[in-house]
Amino acid sequence: MKNAAFVVFKKELTRFFSDKRLLFTTVILPGLIIFLMYTVMGEAMNTSFNTDDSTFDIAVVNMPDILENSFESERYNITDINTDDINSIRDKISNKDYQLCIVFPEDFNESLLTYTTIEKDRTVPNVEIYYNSSDIQSSNAYSEAVSILSSVEETVSNVFDVNRLDSPDNENIYDVASDEEASGLLFAMILPMILMVMMYSSCVSFSVESIAGEKERGTIASLLITPTPRNQIIIGKVLALSVMALLSGISSFLGTILSMPMLMGNMEDAVGGISAEYYVFSDYLWLILIILTTIILFVTLISILSTFAKTVKEASSLVMPLMIVVMLVSFGSMYGTEAKSELYWYAIPVYNAVQSMVGIFSFNASPVNIGVTILVNLLLSSVGLLVLTKMFNNENIMFGK
Amino acid sequence: MKEILKVESISKTFKLSSKQQKVEKSNSKTKTAVDNLSFSAYEGEIFGLLGPNGAGKTTTLRMLATLIKPDSGDAFIDGSSIVKNPDEVRGKIGFLTSELKLEDFFTPDFLFDFFSDLHKVPDEVRIQRKEELFSKFGIDKFSQVKVANLSTGMKQKVSLAVSIVHDPNIIIFDEPTNGLDVITAKVVTDFLEELKQRGKTVIVSTHIFSLIEKICDRVGIIIDGKMIVCDDLKTITSEKNLEDVFFDIYRERKGDEI
Repeated sequence: MKNAAFVVFKKELTRFFSDKRLLFTTVILPGLIIFLMYTVMGEAMNTSFNTDDSTFDIAVVNMPDILENSFESERYNITDINTDDINSIRDKISNKDYQLCIVFPEDFNESLLTYTTIEKDRTVPNVEIYYNSSDIQSSNAYSEAVSILSSVEETVSNVFDVNRLDSPDNENIYDVASDEEASGLLFAMILPMILMVMMYSSCVSFSVESIAGEKERGTIASLLITPTPRNQIIIGKVLALSVMALLSGISSFLGTILSMPMLMGNMEDAVGGISAEYYVFSDYLWLILIILTTIILFVTLISILSTFAKTVKEASSLVMPLMIVVMLVSFGSMYGTEAKSELYWYAIPVYNAVQSMVGIFSFNASPVNIGVTILVNLLLSSVGLLVLTKMFNNENIMFGK
Repeated sequence: MKEILKVESISKTFKLSSKQQKVEKSNSKTKTAVDNLSFSAYEGEIFGLLGPNGAGKTTTLRMLATLIKPDSGDAFIDGSSIVKNPDEVRGKIGFLTSELKLEDFFTPDFLFDFFSDLHKVPDEVRIQRKEELFSKFGIDKFSQVKVANLSTGMKQKVSLAVSIVHDPNIIIFDEPTNGLDVITAKVVTDFLEELKQRGKTVIVSTHIFSLIEKICDRVGIIIDGKMIVCDDLKTITSEKNLEDVFFDIYRERKGDEI
């Protein structure tokens, strides 16, 4: 004899896997969209920070000899002008024909050469730079000029250095964080939030349709007049919905993790090489268990709300408050430093999953805490299934108009 | 003859919303849909529940099919209580009403197998029964077409086949010919008579006099949730035809407000 829960489970999955359109929009599309979106975002960020290939037209009054080398670059189109031309160049900058006009005082060279740290209260020379903040090119040229001048100033008045890079390949030997830890920190900040929100939304899309949709279309009644015990129908449905949500969640997860290097490309210097290669098999195993049990809990909770609702529309609005709670709790991980170590935090649903994931991503996974999370999720899901069974037996909820 | 269905004074009231109260012109917060209703049906007969719209026919059948529970009273189907053992009852009856829909996405073939599995019908039996029912109703040509793409009549025939996958002894049909063309309606009524020939008990509800006169052995007339008359069709129609009998009773109960 076939187990009734399995019959229902199989029916739900047949519905899912034989509908190519549904399969495409729920499994292929989310990962693809996230991958493309993050890749394009990463590209856009890279280009906007990167101005290497643009050239600047710069007019200079009294270019000091000492600085000629600093501005010697193919990118800088230097024109020497007189003080009288400043006004006309200013107009050109405002018309975006020129990017900068740098005016050095006449005695700039001498005042640098005669500079000593002892004369503290003398008036220092002022370099004037005219630029146009509404022109991105001009703004970029301005920041470059300021940084060149600042470094010149530093060399002249050099009293001490911080973290001087002496090694030949300019490798940063001062930051003791390994690439592994840097990746961990970044993943722990971003992924739990993204994962929780994705998991919740994929659970919503399947569960609302399967429960409230079947109620609305009257197909659930056909199921309820069979001698199948209510709890078998519910278990079959919840498990099938969890499998679908898991597949959709994995797709989003892959999209995120594969596009992460692209998105973070321009932050390479700040955080080191970002890669998921530092995680070992047990990390992934824990992660999958956390995700799976959290999805089962989500599906159960959303199913309860969908059973209350009379229509898909009503169910969609009923699940929104829970979405907000999930989002708020998950956003906490973006600011939280480390995973909580005290066990009682892991008794709180949703929060426990976020904390467990932060722990896994930052290489601080505690098997006990993760175990408690999985248990709490399963326990609450079982209570939810009992509630659902009661609801399925209630004619006002199931057939109330 | 064996009494296979015994209904013992079942009642059902529904809550009325304030809007519905206005429509019903009533101050009462509840409406009694079925009021202390009792009747019996015997093995191998077709029993008809006749009554106007809103008389409580569908509510009665929904209670017998265990979709809803009576507020008081009980009914026994082949010895199983609809209140205490609804799962047992569900295994013994086939129920067909417009309220029960089939999922548009699936084919008749898939749905027949699905419901057979839920009723725990062995595979060999299922295959044979499917072939028999599908060819009888002409579903075989459409067995791989999604329900969404079937005509209303074909959908009804598929629903009918699916509702009896487990070959139940008691078949409960709510308005079996509603919305069907004359040809499909005849296929359905012929099938009901065939079921009776095979010793099954059929309970139908309808407001169509001719359907009752054509197929029913016994009839119960329900007005305002109460069973007014319940007897052999022959006895009831010994002096006048069913329509005249019904209107006489109706006038007696409700005055001239027709």
